[in-house]
Parts: sequence; C-alpha cells; structure tokens
Amino acid sequence: MMEKTHVTSKPQWLKVTYDQKKVDHMDDLLAGLKLNTVCAEANCPNLGECFGSGSAAFMILGPNCTRACRFCDVPHGHPAPVDLLEPARVAEATKRLGLSHVVVTSTDRDDLPDLGAGQFVATIKALRRLTPKTTIEVLTPDFQGRTDCIDAVLAAGPDVFNHNMETVRSITPHVRNRATYETSLAVLRYAKEHAPQNMYVKTGIMLGLGETDAEVYQLMDDLRAIDVDFLTIGQYVQPSPKHYQLREWVPMARYQTYYKEAVKRGFKFVASSPLVRSSYKAKEELEAVMGK
Amino acid sequence: MIKEVHMPKLSPKSDEYFFGEWQKEPGDSVEVGDILFEVETDKVVSQVESQEKGTLQAQKVAEGDTVKVGDLVATIKVA
Repeated sequence: MMEKTHVTSKPQWLKVTYDQKKVDHMDDLLAGLKLNTVCAEANCPNLGECFGSGSAAFMILGPNCTRACRFCDVPHGHPAPVDLLEPARVAEATKRLGLSHVVVTSTDRDDLPDLGAGQFVATIKALRRLTPKTTIEVLTPDFQGRTDCIDAVLAAGPDVFNHNMETVRSITPHVRNRATYETSLAVLRYAKEHAPQNMYVKTGIMLGLGETDAEVYQLMDDLRAIDVDFLTIGQYVQPSPKHYQLREWVPMARYQTYYKEAVKRGFKFVASSPLVRSSYKAKEELEAVMGK
Repeated sequence: MIKEVHMPKLSPKSDEYFFGEWQKEPGDSVEVGDILFEVETDKVVSQVESQEKGTLQAQKVAEGDTVKVGDLVATIKVA
C-alpha cells in the first residue's frame, strides 16, 4: 500500500453557498415524509445547492447500511425493518417537489433475502403510478452479484441503471467492504446485456484515493469493453479522520484530461469535475443524451 | 431595528463548526443574498448568505473560533 500523506486545507472549489430557508424547507418536507436522502446521510458538499433547487437523491432501506466502506459516511449499523410504505412516500415527495428526474439509491442490505431489490422494484412502480412523466435513475448496491436481483430491478424499468465502481482495481479492497472490482464490473456487464435499448447503464468513481492515470484509463477501458454508457468522476472528500485518508486534491486539469480520454473511448456522457457525485445533475445528464 | 444572525445548521451530521472568514465588516451595507461569512464543516466550506438587508453592526465571533448551531454571530441594523 502506498505511503500516507496528510492532506488538509480545503481547496477553493469546495466553497459552497447555503440558503438556510430553502434547505430548511427541504428538510421539513423530507422529515415529514420520514425519508432519508444520501445527500444528508453522506453529508454531501452539494446539499445546499441541490436542496436549494429542490433536488434530492432518495436513499431507501436506510438509514443504516450493512457494510462499512472506508470512504463512506452513511452510518454502518443494525439495519431497520423494511418499511413497506416507503416507496409510496418517495413517490409522494417526488410529486410534491415536481421532480422531472428522480434518483433512488439505497443502503446495502446484505441481511435481506432479496438484498433490497424488492424495495427498488416497489419504489419504481410507485413512482410510475404517481409521477408517470418523471424519469427514474436507480443507484444500486452490487447485490452480491446476484443476477435475480438485477433482473428484478431491470424488469421494473428504470431509465438509468447506475452502480458505482467507486475506484480503480488496486484501491478497491482498501476502501470497499465486501465488494470487489470484479463483482461490480459483472453487475454492470449483466445490466447492460439485459437492459432494454432505451435504458442507460451508468457508473461513477472518486479521485484522490491514490489512483494513477494508467489505472483510471484501465478502468475506463474495462467499462467500455462492457459498453457502459455514462461515467461520473468526482473528488473524494474524507468524511472524518477515521475514514480512508485522502491522498490528493486532484487538480482541475486532470479532470479535463480524464474527460477527454473518457469521451474518446466512447462513453455517451461523461461528467468529470471535483464536485461531481453520481447523482449530481443527473437530470441534465439524461436530458443531454435523450436530446431533450 | 437590530436583527440577530445566528449560526445556521450547515451539516446534517454535526452542530459545531470552524468559523472561517468574514466577508462583511461592521458598517458595510448588506443585501439579501450577500455572503456574510464562511464556515468550515467536515466536507465543505459553506458561504452563508444574509437573509436581511441593512448594515452590518457587529461581528460577534472571530475567524478561527469554534461555533455551535444557534450561536449569535452578528447583528444587522435593518431600516
């Protein structure tokens, strides 16, 4: 493992504006409907901007996750019973917020017989019933690579199937818990092979964990070999001193280089910038590809 | 009339932050939406906007202070 270097002071681009009234309004709506967002649970840097503009990524089956990945701020702990009314509340929030695109993600639920796939299906169905014009993006766990779980989610018909690789092959075992590079790649491969033509398959990675250019390009090649459509690239921000040590604030020029390299390799859409997160401006991404 | 500015909750996970830089000095005029100050939380530096229009009367905390949600940070004289 590479030598640890201490990286402290935050770069200028990590400055975000914050409108308390708008954020409070969103907090109240989400609390009223007893919904979790990955925005709040992971303490996302974009929360002020997204909540301020009425956008959020719902995190079902939370708030506790059965895995303890070293990059992630979502709490690891005893999982809650499945809330059968949660899908309807996600749909209700989507309707009230007037979202034209909704992102639904979840905690890992290795404790459940279906690993949480059924709750994704129920949520997609509830959204289709209540907000039929809203496009749906799911950001799923690896489902331990189980194809029956992936099949169930694909059959429910989201517009975008997203599963994050998170990082390059060599760093994966250091930051992800019970998840492997091969399994995540297999999930994406299976999803792409079995998705209908009009469904996009997407993934995302973090930079600043100590990855090299060659490793990032290898990852891009691995993804293009299985025809993944969208790629998001953003900066890792260490949630606390207990989490995986940040190695580098990656300079903007490298995001631009990676963007060009990814586009050259044939991804349909690439977002590469420090504050990019897998659901950040996902709506604009899908609209660009669909030519809206 | 004097309006008090209290530290907003800027992070879902913590209530104590590191006070950054003042962007307005006492006597400066302030519009709604102007950046008043910066606060460092775990993951970001948040720029906090004014909810009032008026004149910054007093800064109640200094750069580098640890501040808690709800602490009085400034007063603004509004017309």
